[in-house]
Amino acid sequence: MLQTGLIPNAHNDLVTDASYDFYGLRLATCSLDQRIKIWQLDETNGTWTVEDEWKAHDAAISKVSWAHPEFGTVLASSSFDRTVKVWEQIPLTESDATQVNGSGSATSTSKWVERAMLVDAKGTVRAIEFAPQHFGLKLASISSDNHLRIYDCLEQPSLTTWQMTEEVDVLSLPSGPRSNNNTTSAATPTQQPSTTPESASASLVTHALQQQQQQQGQSVRSGSGNREADGGWCLSWCKDRYWGELISAGCGATGVVKIIQLTPSRRPFAVLTLDSSPSQTSSSDTPSRNTQSSTADSDAPTPFAITSVAWAPSCGRSYHLIATGGRDGRVRIWRVRPPVLSDELDGESEGDAEGKWAASIVGEFDDHKSAVGRVEWNITGTILSSAGNDGRVRLWKMTAGNVWRPAGHISVEQAEEQLADVDMDADAED
Amino acid sequence: MAPTASSNLRPPLVERGGLEKFIKSGKTLATTISPRDDSIAVYATTLTHSRSPGSSEEHPIYTTSPHLAPSSERRTFVTDTSVIFAAVRNLVQVAREEGVQLSDTVDGMKAMTKLALDYVNHCKECCIYAAQETTRHEPLQFDADHYRKLYTCFSLFTVLYMPESGLDDAPVGDEVMDWLNTHYIEPSTEDGDNLSSLDRPWEDETFWPYLTRATLRGLTKASAFFLDVLSQHPSPDLQRLSQLLIPLLTNHPRLHQFAAERDFAVASRRWKDKVKSLRLELDRVPEEDREDGFENWWERFSDIVSILEGRGENVKRIVSELGGDWKEVCAVWGVFIDPRIRRSDLPDLIEDLLDELPPDPTSLEDVIHSSLFLGRPSRTLTQAAELDIWLAAHLADIMEPLQLIEVEPDDSGHPLRDHYVLSYAEYLRSDPSLWRLTVDYMSSCGDIGKAMADQVLVRVPLRLRRHKGSQDAGEDIAQIHSGQLAGVLKEVAETCFEYKREEVRRTICRIAAQTFMQEKEFGLAVSYCASAEDWSGLGHVVDRVLEEYIAEGPEPFARLVANVAPVLHSLRSQHSAHGIFLYRLMFAVRFAEFHQRRVNGDLQEAAFDLVAMFREDLAPRSWWGVLLSDAVELLQHSQGMLFTNNDAVLFLHKLQEIDTRCAQGGQEDYLTVLARVMKGAGEKQILQRLQVIRLVLARYVARCGVIGVGGRSTQGIMY
Repeated sequence: MLQTGLIPNAHNDLVTDASYDFYGLRLATCSLDQRIKIWQLDETNGTWTVEDEWKAHDAAISKVSWAHPEFGTVLASSSFDRTVKVWEQIPLTESDATQVNGSGSATSTSKWVERAMLVDAKGTVRAIEFAPQHFGLKLASISSDNHLRIYDCLEQPSLTTWQMTEEVDVLSLPSGPRSNNNTTSAATPTQQPSTTPESASASLVTHALQQQQQQQGQSVRSGSGNREADGGWCLSWCKDRYWGELISAGCGATGVVKIIQLTPSRRPFAVLTLDSSPSQTSSSDTPSRNTQSSTADSDAPTPFAITSVAWAPSCGRSYHLIATGGRDGRVRIWRVRPPVLSDELDGESEGDAEGKWAASIVGEFDDHKSAVGRVEWNITGTILSSAGNDGRVRLWKMTAGNVWRPAGHISVEQAEEQLADVDMDADAED
Repeated sequence: MAPTASSNLRPPLVERGGLEKFIKSGKTLATTISPRDDSIAVYATTLTHSRSPGSSEEHPIYTTSPHLAPSSERRTFVTDTSVIFAAVRNLVQVAREEGVQLSDTVDGMKAMTKLALDYVNHCKECCIYAAQETTRHEPLQFDADHYRKLYTCFSLFTVLYMPESGLDDAPVGDEVMDWLNTHYIEPSTEDGDNLSSLDRPWEDETFWPYLTRATLRGLTKASAFFLDVLSQHPSPDLQRLSQLLIPLLTNHPRLHQFAAERDFAVASRRWKDKVKSLRLELDRVPEEDREDGFENWWERFSDIVSILEGRGENVKRIVSELGGDWKEVCAVWGVFIDPRIRRSDLPDLIEDLLDELPPDPTSLEDVIHSSLFLGRPSRTLTQAAELDIWLAAHLADIMEPLQLIEVEPDDSGHPLRDHYVLSYAEYLRSDPSLWRLTVDYMSSCGDIGKAMADQVLVRVPLRLRRHKGSQDAGEDIAQIHSGQLAGVLKEVAETCFEYKREEVRRTICRIAAQTFMQEKEFGLAVSYCASAEDWSGLGHVVDRVLEEYIAEGPEPFARLVANVAPVLHSLRSQHSAHGIFLYRLMFAVRFAEFHQRRVNGDLQEAAFDLVAMFREDLAPRSWWGVLLSDAVELLQHSQGMLFTNNDAVLFLHKLQEIDTRCAQGGQEDYLTVLARVMKGAGEKQILQRLQVIRLVLARYVARCGVIGVGGRSTQGIMY
C-alpha cells in the first residue's frame, strides 16, 4: 500500500466516519465536532477541497451514508444525539445566491438542506446505511438500544416523509423462517423466545449493559470507560436484489452478527447467525466451519463485540461474502450460501438442509493482534480492508483456489529512520 | 509491484513507539474504500466518542492506494497490450462459437501464436524504449529491466508452449538456445572486439573463456575466427588441432538445416564420430607439450572438445566456471548433449539440473523460468503475479485456451484464469480513466466478471452538470443538453450495448434523469426516464415540473416545460404501457401550453386547452382549483366570449364537486395545490377564491344565456 494524498486537518476533533459518494469524487466526513464536511476531489492533482460544511447534530456524529445518485444527492447522518438526519444538496436559487450561507465556499452553486429528522431511537444511533437502490429509498439504522430500524421514504422528490417500516430488537429476533413470528419488536431480552443458549446469555450481558447505562443516565455519553464503549453496533445491507431485502446487524458485545430478512408480509426474522464467539473460534483452526449447528458450552468465555460488518457486493457469485471485525482482534470472512430454491430441488419442500442459509469461514486472520475497528469491501468484493488497534490498515484478497491472503498494509506509526519504505512484513504472506 | 508492499503514512499519525498511548487515549483507526479507484481513506477515530475539547492536535485524513496507477510508459504498455488481449478474446470466442478447441485447430493455434508474439514484441519494445537515455516528459514508472523480465518470461513461454504447427514434437534444443542467446548475451561483444585487436590474444586471460563460451552458445563464426587465430600460436599441436576443430564447428548439424529429423539424426551421429577422432588426436599430444608458457592450453582445448562430445558432467562444470546457470546448461544440453530432446523431456531434465544448479530464489524471473521449464503453468502464474500482475493475467489468458491450466471454476466460482485477469483489472482500476479497459478485462471473466464490470461501468462519472466558468468538456455537455448522446454518456451507453448490460444502462439513465431534473432540464429528464423505462421516476419528474408552477409561477413554468412537449410526442407514439405517469406528463405539458398561449395573448387557444384538460380528464383533481382559478381571467375577458355555455357549465360542475368533497373533509385532495399556489393562504381565503370563481362562472353563464353566444347547444362557436 502506498500513500497517495493527505487532507492535513479535516476536522476540529476526531473524525468519526468518512464515506465516499457513489463515484468516489466526493467524501463526506463527520466528527466529534458535530459537523459534516463534504470534500470534493480535484482529479487533476488528487487533492481534496471542502465543498460545504455545516453543524449537523447536537452531539458527536457516528456515521454518514450516501444514497444512490438516482435519488439525487442525498446524505444521511446518525448521531449520539439519538437522531438520524437526512440531507439533500440542491442548487442555489437566485435568492440564495445573494445571501450565501457562511459555511459554504463563496463559489458554491449548491447548498445542503435538512430534509428529515428521525427521532425513534432510544439510544445513541451508531450506524446507518441506505438500502441498495433497487429496494427504493430506504434507510437502516442501528442504535445502542439494540434496535434495528428501517425507514422508507414516502415522498421521494421532497424527501420529507419517512415511515419507520420496521423496528426490531436484534437480540431477541426470532431466528429461522419457520419460527413463530408472534414476537413483537418491543420484546425485552428476558422475554425473548430464546433459540440458542448462547444468544440468551449474550442478551443478558446486553441487558446488564443497558441497566448500567440507565444508572449512568445522561452521563453515558461522556467520560471514558463506560460500557457502551465496549459494545459494537454495526449493520450492512445485502447489495443483491435476488434474495429480497437482507441486512446483517451486530449489537452490543454478543460476538454474533445476524442476517435478517425483511419482507413486507411478516415480521423480520434472522435467517442465519454468524457466531464467532470464543467457544467457537478456539475449538479449531480449520478454515471451514459450519455455524448452523452451533452448540455453545455452558461455560462460554466472555463474548466480545463485533465492531464492524461488511457485506460484499455479490457480483453474480453463487454465494455471499460477509466480513466481520471484532474486539477479539480477528478479521473474519464468511462465505454465506443462500438456500437452494425449492423449485430447483425437484419438488422437495424447503424444510431440508438445502433450504437453509449456511455459512462457513473462508478466512480468519489475527494479524492485527488487537481489536479490529473497521472492515470494508471494495465495490467488486475482491479487496477487503481492515483497520485495527495495531495502528495498521491491512488489505486482504482472494487468490486462486479460494484462498484469502494478506495483500499489503500501511502503518500510521512513524517509520524507523531510513527504513520507511522497507517492507518488514512482506513475508507475512507465506 | 509486489502486492504485499507496505509503507508508513507521512507525516506519521503516531510517533514511533507512541501507538500504545494513542490506543489508550481512546483512539483507533478507521478506513473507507473509494468506489472510484479502490483508494483507501485512513483516519484516526474514537473509541469512546467523547469530545476532546481544546486539543491542538490535527485530525488528518490520508488517502492510500493498493497500487500506483499506471503512468508514463506503463500506461502506454497497458493500453497497447489491451488491443492484443481483445484480439485473443475474439479468437477464443470464435472458436467457442464454432464448438472447437482452439488448441486442436492449426489456424487457431497459428493465430494465437502470432498474438502471443505480439505480446512478446510489446515487452521488447517497451524494454528498448525504457532503456533509451533521453529526457522524458514523465519519469519511467518501471525501469527497462522490469520489461526485460516480462520479455524473457513471455518469450520463453512461447518457445516452450507454443511451438510452430507440426513442430510440437520436434527437438527443441535450437529454439531454447536461440532464446538464451537473445536474452542473455554471452560472451560479450566487447570481449570479442578487444581480443580481435590483439596480436596474441591467447595470452589474454579472457581468450579461452571467450572461445569456450562462444562454442557453448553455438556461435560458430566467433569460435572459428579465434580458432583460426590459433594458427599463429607457438604450439604446432594447437595449430594443427584448432584447424581440425574449425570444420567440426562450422559443420555442426543443426535441426533447421534438415528436412527430415532422420537425416538430422544420421548427420549428428557421423559428426559425433568425427569429434571422437579429434579427441584421439588430442590425447596423443604429450603431457610436456600441453603448456604454452601461460597456461595449459590442452585442458582448455579439451574442455571445448568435451562440449562437442556432449559430456554432461563436463558441460555443467564448464558452464558453472564461466558463471552460467541452469538455463545455459539446459540450452547446451539440447544442442550438444541430446540434440533430439523434446519439449516433453524438458521437465525431467530440468528437475535433475536444478538439483545441482538451483534457480536464484531472489530472482522472480529465474524462478518463473524454472517453472516454465518444469511444465508447471499454474505455479508459473503464482510467481508471475508477484513479478507483475500484467504477466500473470496475459499468460493465464493464453494458457486457458491451450488447456494448460484448469478450466473449471474452483471453489470460489472463478476458473484459475479469471483470478489473474480480475486481479489485473483491479490493478487497472487504480486509474479511473482506464475504465474502458477495466470493463473489457472484467467482462471476459464470465458472469461474475460481467457483474463486476457493471459496478465499474455504472460508476463512470457522467459529468452532466454545466460548470460555470469551466471550459473543458463543455462541448460534450452542450451536445447532451441539446438532446444528443455525447461524451462519456455516449461511451458508457455504447459499452453497455456492446456487452448487453441493459440493467446498467437503465441505472445510468435514471441517474442522468435525476441530474437533469435537478438542473431543471425537464425535457431531458423525461426522455432519460423513458429510456430507462422508469415510469415512477417519470412521475417524480412530473411532480417536480408542477412544483415549478407552484414555486415560480406560470411563466417560468411554461418556459421550462416547453422542451418537454416534443419528448411527450415521441413517447405517445411508442404506445407502450406507461399509463398513469404519461397521463400526468400530458397534463403538465398541456397546462404549460395553456399558460404559454395565455401569455402570448392567444386567448382562444388557451381557453380550448383549459376546457380540454377537463374534458380529457387530464387534470388531477388536486389541480382543479388551480385551473378554475386560472380560468377566471379568460372568463372575464372583455373582447369576446372564449368559452361555450357548455364549457362554463362543465366548470361549474367541477366547482360543485370541489365544494361537495371539501364539505365531506376532502380538502387535502382538492385544495392543497391551490393553497400552495396562493402562497400559504388560509382556508378562508381559499374558500373566498372559490366563491369568486363561482360568481364569475355564474355571470358568464348568464351572459351566454342573454347574448346567446355559443348557444345552448354543445356546438361552440368554433365548432
